[in-house]
Amino acid sequence: MNMNGQHDLSGTDAAGDEKPKTGRQIMPTLDQKVQDAIGRSLKAHYDDLVNAPVPDRLLALLAELEAKEGERDS
Amino acid sequence: MTADRHQGCAQPSRAEPKRSFRDLLVAEIPNLRAFGASLSGSMHLADDLVQDTLLKAWGHSSSFTEGSNIRAWLFTILRNTYYSLYRKRGREVQDTDGIYSNRVAVPADQDSAVDLADLRKALAKLPEEQREVLIMVGATGLSYEEAAVVCGVAIGTVKSRVNRGRARLAELLGIHPADDPGDIGTIIRTSRQDRPVARGP
Repeated sequence: MNMNGQHDLSGTDAAGDEKPKTGRQIMPTLDQKVQDAIGRSLKAHYDDLVNAPVPDRLLALLAELEAKEGERDS
Repeated sequence: MTADRHQGCAQPSRAEPKRSFRDLLVAEIPNLRAFGASLSGSMHLADDLVQDTLLKAWGHSSSFTEGSNIRAWLFTILRNTYYSLYRKRGREVQDTDGIYSNRVAVPADQDSAVDLADLRKALAKLPEEQREVLIMVGATGLSYEEAAVVCGVAIGTVKSRVNRGRARLAELLGIHPADDPGDIGTIIRTSRQDRPVARGP
């Protein structure tokens, strides 16, 4: 997996098909340390949520769907 | 917890395609919740959103191409569901339910430069189109290509949104390497302190 700023973020190809609406034409490239800090923070935010316990009802829902399908198929 | 007792999970088995599909879905639930919460600003809404997503995914399992990235496929469903049904609700309850109100807001690791609570406040201020791609590309492991497919936009658009979102976050969080070295520039600091001082005669 490539994350944490491993992507090519070198602003050069950032124009895309979307023109900046403000007066700034070129996006300044962020300092690598700043990019890394933001990358780590985003990851910390996300991992914190990923690690939250999954409610039983979501697991039960899938078990139910599978059971229903089993009934129908047999 | 109704934990699965299947012998192996996530390995697609041809004999029991549905069973393994369920395993694939179960394995993605934590990511779906995290992505849903990041979009809606509410863990409570995220669970409803995930429930809808799982139901739709189950009903449309034939449209999933085996071997392709199931996370990207599920994110697409979740995101469409969010924008068509949940977005308004999300805005209404955002601050009362609090995505994170019962999650302890501490940095997950000491390397993290920014407090989670601060980051989340800043994330909430970003335009949706920037927030979603920052999360997808920066935290979920999706590539730019996959994020572009999820959002239905060109890859260059994703790149430019990521760049702008990142710059805006840095601004909101006040991260500037030049004038705030103490925050993230420990390397700079120690290299100076550790310099031996010439002493004595």
